Amino acid sequence: MVNDSGQLYTMEGVAAGVIMLLTAYIVISTTSIYTPGDTHIPDMQLEQLGSDVLAMMDTPDINGSDSRLNGLVRGGTGTGDTLRGEFLAGCKMRYEDPDNDLKAQVYLSYRTLSGNVSTIQLSSLDPEFTGRENTVRVTRWVQLPSGSTYDLPNLESSRPHAVLVEVLLWRA
Amino acid sequence: MSLDFLAGFTIFMLALIMVVSMVPGLLAGLESSGIDYDAVAYRTGVILVEDPGWPVYPPWEMNDLAHKGEIERIGLAVSKETPNILLSTKVDTFFNGSFFTPDDYHRLAIFGDIPYSYNFSLSSGGALIGQTGDPLPPGYGYIRRVVKIKEPGVAMINGSFASDYTAPSSNQEFTVRLDFGQLLDPTIGPAYRIDPRTEPVNVTITDFREYLNTTDPSVTNATLKSVTFWKMDPTRPIPQFTRIPFAYDTVDSNLYTLYIDYRDGNQDPCPLRPDGGVEVSENITLVLKPAATSLFTLDQNSILDIRFNFDDDPSRTNITGIHHYDYNQTNVTRPDLKPGVLEVAIW
Amino acid sequence: MACMNEDGQWIVLMGLLTALGLFFLALIINQSALVGQTTAEGVLEFPKNDIRDLRSAIFDHYDRCGNLDALMRQQNAEDIVRISLERKNAVVHFWNDTAQDISGRMLRPITIHYNNGVTVYNETVYY
Repeated sequence: MVNDSGQLYTMEGVAAGVIMLLTAYIVISTTSIYTPGDTHIPDMQLEQLGSDVLAMMDTPDINGSDSRLNGLVRGGTGTGDTLRGEFLAGCKMRYEDPDNDLKAQVYLSYRTLSGNVSTIQLSSLDPEFTGRENTVRVTRWVQLPSGSTYDLPNLESSRPHAVLVEVLLWRA
Repeated sequence: MSLDFLAGFTIFMLALIMVVSMVPGLLAGLESSGIDYDAVAYRTGVILVEDPGWPVYPPWEMNDLAHKGEIERIGLAVSKETPNILLSTKVDTFFNGSFFTPDDYHRLAIFGDIPYSYNFSLSSGGALIGQTGDPLPPGYGYIRRVVKIKEPGVAMINGSFASDYTAPSSNQEFTVRLDFGQLLDPTIGPAYRIDPRTEPVNVTITDFREYLNTTDPSVTNATLKSVTFWKMDPTRPIPQFTRIPFAYDTVDSNLYTLYIDYRDGNQDPCPLRPDGGVEVSENITLVLKPAATSLFTLDQNSILDIRFNFDDDPSRTNITGIHHYDYNQTNVTRPDLKPGVLEVAIW
Repeated sequence: MACMNEDGQWIVLMGLLTALGLFFLALIINQSALVGQTTAEGVLEFPKNDIRDLRSAIFDHYDRCGNLDALMRQQNAEDIVRISLERKNAVVHFWNDTAQDISGRMLRPITIHYNNGVTVYNETVYY
């Protein structure tokens, strides 16, 4: 009456049990690992920072006066480096030591006499522009009054213009 | 070996290989709640910097400790239309450690069920304006917002006004007039508006010697009898000024501060109607806080008068006239918007 | 081998079925956690700053050009529309109606339409 024909069931049962346990263990302990680069969190922080700084540069400190950004854009390429300098100063501002790894490049988009959109570089080229990290682009609209070409090639000086200031911001 | 056995064993081996290949992932052991920190910091940053808070009117920062439960959300922006421009009174209330507890910050600024630790700091030009929370750990979620801070103006009445506000036969009453219809002008943006309902009204009379009666050389001071508040509603058929009932005799620094002859150092605040009057020789500084203005039940057309009464017989001061607290830069010096940085850390 | 004993096979089969069921559940839960995108991508995708900036640009346009002649006003508006399309990849359209009296001030209703392919924004505001 004692034979080993029941061993088959036992072995099958053990195998089935092992499969189920292993599956349960795999399912419960598999966690997704997100690196901050995958989730674009640094990009989001940088974009919000850049937008804030441009918005604050575009807010006049005194009611009725023109904003600092407006004044700097009107200087054309001559004040492009100053614009970049003030923009970066605003981005680096922090309670403790300033956040020094940031770099930026400023562009201006406007409509020419022919009606097409042209983009020029306002600030001088950063030596580290090639071979850099991913950039974030922040923009701000500026109204330029009529009466001058503001150093911008092919700009019609007889009417007021709406131009777009674009700043590329990246971490060195 | 039977086919059955091989099939069963193959399945087992497959499962084992899968487990072994997932072991490196299991050993990394990254806590998923850590990813949340930057997102929560961003959300808190938006609430603080772009939202005026709730309730907006009457402003949440006006509530005292007894009414703290009515605050639903803390926001520092001047208004909904002016994101990134913070109001100094809201900033002061926010960083007031004796008003808000850590639990309040969780409930009203951070939100969510997980008890995050936080650190908020607002600085301007390298100097710290306010900071609250725990010291920063090695890893945390972070957002930095660049802002501008709107500070209240001061009506500085110094010696240069002496020719306008003195007269030989003066009634010894000097009035500072706030015309709400003019002040709450909707064409002026909220970032530049003077709003006595939300910001303190500061009246500083200096160089008081210029306002003394110079015919008598022995006169070195004058007696301030009282500072009273009067209101008028110009939309009524027969508008007239009525005195506002107020606790003129008690000193309450939540409602106003009045300093006489203020010099650096500790100075005792004075009640608005001091017993027997108080001698003024150099300056008077009155700060009327929005909590008091809200008690006056004024509407957007009212005119509020702050009257300084001097009572001397014979009169020792020639001060008289009405100083308009309006948008004229000589009448009220309004400081420029101050740039600042708000940093939010969550962990 | 003759007459293999296949009686116990149902046990292993049940075990396998349970395991497959567990994997299927895990797949569903995993996918549900990833519905949409991560939070930062969601923040980046919504053009909050762009829309606010556009509104302020349109208000500036009406401030400076509202009283100029029609051609200059049209050119300025074209600036905003064309540059938005080329540089911001957004279709912008705005126009105004006649001014109305709103609590004592003459304000025009300005209608703004913005579409950057992912987000559509429509607003009528008195300015």
